[in-house]
Amino acid sequence: MSTIAGTAPRGQTRRRIRVDGWRWAGRIFLVFMLLYTALPMIWMLITSIKSGFAAMQFPPQWWPDEPTLASYQKLLDPQNSVGQDFLRFFWNSLFVSTVTTILSVIVAVPAAYAFSRFRFPGRNFLFFAVLLRNMFPAVIFLVPLFILMRMLGLVNTHGSLILTYLTFGLPLAIWLLKGFYDNIPVQLEQAARIDGATRFQAFILIVMPLSTPGIIATAIYSFIGAWNEYIYAYTFLSKNEQLTLPVGIQRFFSENTTDFPGLMAASFMMSVPVVVLFLVLQRYFVRALTEGAVKH
Amino acid sequence: MAHVVLKDLVKTYGGFKAVNDVSLTVNDGEFVALVGPSGCGKTTTLNLVAGLIPITSGDIVIGDRVVNDLDPKDRDIAMVFQNYALYPQKSVYKNLAFPLQMRKLPRDEIDKKVKEAARVLDMTHLLERKPRELSGGQQQRVALGRALVRDPAVFLMDEPLSNLDAKLRVQMRSEIKRFHQDLKATIVYVTHDQLEAVTMADKMAVMNGGLLQQYDSPAQVFAHPVNMFVASFIGSPAMSLIPLEASTANGNTVLTGAEGWSLELSPRNAQKVAGATTRKVVLGARHSTIKLHKSAVAGSVPARAYTVEPTGDVTFVQALLSGAIVNVSVPPNIAIAPDEQIWLEFDQERMHLFDGETEMAFQAN
Repeated sequence: MSTIAGTAPRGQTRRRIRVDGWRWAGRIFLVFMLLYTALPMIWMLITSIKSGFAAMQFPPQWWPDEPTLASYQKLLDPQNSVGQDFLRFFWNSLFVSTVTTILSVIVAVPAAYAFSRFRFPGRNFLFFAVLLRNMFPAVIFLVPLFILMRMLGLVNTHGSLILTYLTFGLPLAIWLLKGFYDNIPVQLEQAARIDGATRFQAFILIVMPLSTPGIIATAIYSFIGAWNEYIYAYTFLSKNEQLTLPVGIQRFFSENTTDFPGLMAASFMMSVPVVVLFLVLQRYFVRALTEGAVKH
Repeated sequence: MAHVVLKDLVKTYGGFKAVNDVSLTVNDGEFVALVGPSGCGKTTTLNLVAGLIPITSGDIVIGDRVVNDLDPKDRDIAMVFQNYALYPQKSVYKNLAFPLQMRKLPRDEIDKKVKEAARVLDMTHLLERKPRELSGGQQQRVALGRALVRDPAVFLMDEPLSNLDAKLRVQMRSEIKRFHQDLKATIVYVTHDQLEAVTMADKMAVMNGGLLQQYDSPAQVFAHPVNMFVASFIGSPAMSLIPLEASTANGNTVLTGAEGWSLELSPRNAQKVAGATTRKVVLGARHSTIKLHKSAVAGSVPARAYTVEPTGDVTFVQALLSGAIVNVSVPPNIAIAPDEQIWLEFDQERMHLFDGETEMAFQAN
């Protein structure tokens, strides 16, 4: 060590400068990416507290002269028609997303466990089939699914959306969760069964708590997918009182082209549940995505 | 405590017989080691006894009940796993309490038993820790505690020491042995380490290829291996097995080596070989029963030193004889050079003779 430091001080300094150069390039790039992703959201927030007139001004007011929460009040006021619509869309989205999430967890947990633990005929084929759905763009299934929903009499119901979102969300949910269960040693369940638990109790008491991060990640994933989905909601639903937020906001946009603050306030409130969910539970999400990457 | 009986136990996977017609009896309070190389069916056998996998055919009796179709929880057994299988989300206390909670014992009784087990295993100060905060030896002890807290009829142990470092393994080995003596527990213990089996067990069941090869006390298995597999598996360094040719001339039976030398058998050994249907005989000898000479003496055979391994206490010489490697131990003050000509003298009383075709030991009539 000392000889290296003694004989090659110049080389060492030069190397350190080079490393720092790369590091600075990386930092600048990251700052740029941060601005690129954060600025639209910040602009959305700033616009939402402007008056309608201020939003149209050019050059723009970087910070509104008279910040106002009027747009929010309008959207959240059940007395006027805009507020009624917005609250209904919000409730519809919440309902569809929550039911999708619950069903997705209820199906994915036992399915993933079975794929992980049991050897049954057709196991590999089924697992591949589960993933197959995700290899195609969602829009490919739009028309076939619409025809199917019409035959089932589900067009213009939230059930059609919930079913469709499950087919999107479940494959990845199962795949994520299987990784979790693969990493839980089977001996834990065996020990529990010898210690007096039934197979089901061993699953509920020992395996489930250990896979909570995976279940939470799965739930977030399903929720966000359902919450943000636009094209199927746009196709399957036509009655105003059933619309979900993405479609509702789009309507809002075409009907009130000039009301930018109102539009931005609606967009902001739509992103709140997702952002809150993600911030609170993100460490589980990251863990779920990296789980199984290395053997412990 | 209870006895365990395996009767014609079979487990097949597809066409593969993992456990092939194994029958043995573990008496009440006995420590039995299932020993064999990996893939020999010993762990499968243990899992069958535990009820973790269903049996294909045969019977398992624990105590006086046939438990073939009982769930693991109803067999009144406890098991210690190779990776300990401690519940990672539970504290040591809750790990120990879990089997009692599952049996719906009252809370104060659980508390009493957990504390008693912790006291016996000297880990009262660890009760509030999580398993990941414990060393390997402590985890091992908790696993043992979780097994004994319930006072089961039978303890099953699946290579419980193989994840420990060498020093700790020796220490835990004597702790488990002590544990067995104190509790008079019936223990079925799986290991691939023949030394563990020999040192700890009352009886050992040597398995290979799903078949039970020999079931007897370690001393008996060591002294009278029934076939060449058992002979070479038990004992360290392994017993040397030398393929030879038997012939009889003038009423004397001699064994002839590949190099052309011959060794006259004692009358007792000659009688063993007399009934053989083949002339191929394998001579088995442990390192301590072979004398090494630097010059020819009566009854010795010529060999060549191959490698010399001084271990401090004793020096092991590997010699080439009739195409086989022969292990001989000599005192450390005897200097042998590789490739040196040496002579080996076998102890006729303690040598083993195997049928070269069937690999079974010749029995004295």
